[in-house]
Amino acid sequence: MSRLTNDIHAVRELMGFGSLAMVDAAVVLVFSLSLMITINPRLTFWSMLAMPLIPVVVRFFGREIFRFSRETQEQLSALSAFVLENLSGIRVVQAYAQEQNQIRRFEAISSGYRGKTMWLATLWGIFWPLMQVMAGVAATVVLWLGGRQVLQGTMTLGEYVAFNGYLAMLTWPLMAIGYTANQYQRGTAALSRLAEVLDTPISPRYASLSADNDARPVRGAIEIRALTFSYSNDQSPELKNINLSIPAGSFCGIVGETGSGKSTLANLLLRLYEPPDDTIFIDGVDIKRMARGRLEKTIGYVSQDIFLFFGSIKDNILLGTENGDNGALEAAARVTQILPTIQTFGSGFETVIGERGVRLSGGQKQRTALARAIIKDPPVLILDDAFSSVDAETEEEILRELRQFMRGRTTLLISHRISSERHADQIIYLKNGEVIERGTHDELLAQRGAYYELYRYQAVIHEVEAIGRAEGHR
Amino acid sequence: MSQEEHQEEEILGKAYDARLMARILRYLRPYSKLLAISFAFLMLQTVSQLLGPYITKIAIDRYIAQRDVHGLDLIALAYLGVVGFGFIVLFVQTYTTEYTGQRAMHDLRVEIFSHLQNQDLGYFDRNAIGRLMTRTINDVETLNELFSTGVVGLLGDVAIVFGIAATMLWLDWKLALVCLAAFPIIVYLSRFYRRRARDVYRESRLILGRLNAGLQENIAGVATIQAFAQEAKMYRRFQEVNLNYRNVLLRSIRYNAVFFPIIELFSALSVGLLLWYGGQRMLSSAIEAGVIVAFIQYIQRMYQPIRDLAEKYNIMQAAMASAERIFALLDNRKTIKNPARPIRPEHFSGEVEFRDVCFSYRPDEPVLKNITFRVRSGEKVALVGPTGAGKTSIISLLCRFYDVQQGAILVDGIDIRDWNKQELRRHLGLVLQDVFLFSGDFATNITLGDPHISAERILDAARRAQIAPWIERLPEGYHQEVQERGSTLSQGQRQLLSFARALAFDPKILILDEATSSVDTRTEALIQKALDELLENRTALIIAHRLSTVKNADRIIVVHNGEIWEEGQHTELLARGGLYARLYELQYHSQDRLAPNGEPEEKSSAALGDQTD
Repeated sequence: MSRLTNDIHAVRELMGFGSLAMVDAAVVLVFSLSLMITINPRLTFWSMLAMPLIPVVVRFFGREIFRFSRETQEQLSALSAFVLENLSGIRVVQAYAQEQNQIRRFEAISSGYRGKTMWLATLWGIFWPLMQVMAGVAATVVLWLGGRQVLQGTMTLGEYVAFNGYLAMLTWPLMAIGYTANQYQRGTAALSRLAEVLDTPISPRYASLSADNDARPVRGAIEIRALTFSYSNDQSPELKNINLSIPAGSFCGIVGETGSGKSTLANLLLRLYEPPDDTIFIDGVDIKRMARGRLEKTIGYVSQDIFLFFGSIKDNILLGTENGDNGALEAAARVTQILPTIQTFGSGFETVIGERGVRLSGGQKQRTALARAIIKDPPVLILDDAFSSVDAETEEEILRELRQFMRGRTTLLISHRISSERHADQIIYLKNGEVIERGTHDELLAQRGAYYELYRYQAVIHEVEAIGRAEGHR
Repeated sequence: MSQEEHQEEEILGKAYDARLMARILRYLRPYSKLLAISFAFLMLQTVSQLLGPYITKIAIDRYIAQRDVHGLDLIALAYLGVVGFGFIVLFVQTYTTEYTGQRAMHDLRVEIFSHLQNQDLGYFDRNAIGRLMTRTINDVETLNELFSTGVVGLLGDVAIVFGIAATMLWLDWKLALVCLAAFPIIVYLSRFYRRRARDVYRESRLILGRLNAGLQENIAGVATIQAFAQEAKMYRRFQEVNLNYRNVLLRSIRYNAVFFPIIELFSALSVGLLLWYGGQRMLSSAIEAGVIVAFIQYIQRMYQPIRDLAEKYNIMQAAMASAERIFALLDNRKTIKNPARPIRPEHFSGEVEFRDVCFSYRPDEPVLKNITFRVRSGEKVALVGPTGAGKTSIISLLCRFYDVQQGAILVDGIDIRDWNKQELRRHLGLVLQDVFLFSGDFATNITLGDPHISAERILDAARRAQIAPWIERLPEGYHQEVQERGSTLSQGQRQLLSFARALAFDPKILILDEATSSVDTRTEALIQKALDELLENRTALIIAHRLSTVKNADRIIVVHNGEIWEEGQHTELLARGGLYARLYELQYHSQDRLAPNGEPEEKSSAALGDQTD
């Protein structure tokens, strides 16, 4: 973020004002100097004698200023990091009555920062006046030597006055050179950082050529063959040798603990991460060979981490489709049970929700995201823990409504709640990236394994909640 | 930062606000001597600026005209002296100004930080950390620009403009009036330009905020964008804002492109008038050549401050906006205050009592309803119940992170609102489920940087928390840095470390939120041992997840839906066959399966309650 906006700003300054100032300075320099030489070459020589020093001074101070500004930035970052940490851990700080100690430490870091800035200020404080001194020395030389020449009669008073005028004009370009040198240093540093961003290779998702130009409607049969995957080479695999066949139109449930690889599987199906070649197929075609946009059209996806954009509810629901009329919009909202909520808003579907949907509750956000997925009318639906923010009852209810929609579509339901998976055609239980159990709900219960344990646990919790509710109403 | 916040950040007000300025100046008051020096040097600098051209005039009119070589040598030397003098004066002036500014800003930063330290937790629930960071760091930086970019020199600029005008009038009032004829027009034009430049600047800030927000949204929502194949649409949307931004910048460039040449034009015009009128008068010998040379130099120096007027104006404006936000933050009074005359018990015994406590974070959503219970000195009480039952709120209230809305909480018979907050908390040891580690070494993480905790006490705490052997095996022992806030440590190690922290502070009352995450058998045994040490001779209120903790507690309070459901000892509650019995049955069953041959509770850390997902 900071890279993009601040660095672009620095480069802009360099290309815009920096280069302009340079050209301006050069033109004035050349004209004034040549006029000065025509008037009096000897005086020009002596007055300009100190000028070669300018690049030296600029270089020296430029380097030092650059070095110190980096150190100052680092100290400022340290200060930020300290505040961030302190505010994140404020509960601990307050619980242990450490406020005074924290303030003392903050003071120390802030003082350090102040010290660094003062060094920087000293450098600047010498640099700018020094440039003025350069100009001042030249003026003294003209005043003195020029004055003597006038006295000796080798120069007229008029020439002398003109010479003084040209010299005055030179002061600004000389300053500009110093200024531009500084800009140049910052600009090139920013440019190299930007280049780093731009040189990052494009994700293979966009780079690969599509070999398959099949335009037939997707049926939605998913086949996963010997899929092993890890996010980076030095990490242990997230998924190990997954084999799974989901016939078109069937309902597959995935259960497992947090970190067992459920979401990774969903990410790979969507190609948000690149799966290995020939491991994931839809209708027999490796998803990596599917034409651009075809995979996205095929899959309706709702993640546990809902992202809503700044804009109206309508815009958010219609995100993935071009042709959504009001009827479709309402239908989708009705299935996901968000319609009554939307109708309570003053402007209905046109209601603007803040970034990340700040004015919607967690459950409302999830329902909006679900509406967004189903309005696409996709042959495949992937729900990755999409109901974690609603209670079990509501989840049941949404699923009941959704069942009509799911008919004829391949559905992959990742959930913590066994109750939602009960009607699945097949369920797999993932643990540490491996499938440890698979079968239908009844088959898995009969196995009396991990699935059975989870079922029993949740049944009791459910019962406890029911007791609580019943007694709460007594 | 959200879109709305972004926009809040970008609202710019006046460039000068007397009320705000007065308040900013208050921070400079401790440095009034430095400020006086800085001001004196500012005036000296103005004088040195005026002196140069005047010496040139003397040199030409007196020495060259009268052919006095010796005098010329001397006056050249004087000129060099003025150059050197100007150098020193400018340096001292910049340095003292910046130094004063940095001192004042440091004070301001510390004040903001201290202010935040004493806010209650409700404040942090309401205000995003990012925003508070912006106040403490970025806004102070923006305010500091006033000093570091020499906007304070605005005063100097005014002094120079008036000084030059006065000197010119003094040297030759007729010539001066001719030269200054264009000046009122310049002033008028620059006001016009400044207004335009301000509008453009405001708009550009606003659009930049939108650009940043859009960029952030795109980065944060990249998975959704890709999954819905919305890259092209998002690109178009970004492109639109980006174009908008470009156009606004182009407009500002257009204003600059008109304004600066106009200034140049008038500056040249002034010189032209000077030469025309001055030349005529020189021919009639009414004035001398030196005056003209001096005037040329004065005119050059006079127009310089006008050139960077707009930039300084923008900086002023941004600084005022930052100051306003900072002061708004500082004006937020804390809701949980220390009493004027706190009550201190003679002898601290460690008794806790909740009397009919009601509490909610938001109106109409009660979290605790009429909670009444008492923990006697040295008693261990376990809080049990499903997620959202209100257990965490109970311990937050006891620490006085929030204030109760009804009823009272008493520690040693004194209402905690009559205690000094920090004093109260020194008696409480809070160990949270989610262990927060700071950057720094292990010793600092145990003491939290409290200098009153001796090295022996650190060692003792670590030993009793069973973490000492592990820390001592590290290459740098207690001085080993904790990497990435402890993310490389195991859950068990983090827990033990937080136990050590509590032991080092040696509180009379322990408030423990047990971790639910499972650990291996060996670590589990270590935790059990450390826990025994921790509980010894202390009053304890524990949000219990482990069966052994519950079984060993003197009393169990079952919380459900913000109410106390059941209360009693383990066996009593089991016999009653209520909520607790159901929870226990579930627990026992799974432990039975995990460890069929005895002592199941020692080996399991599966949760009691709290795991609905």
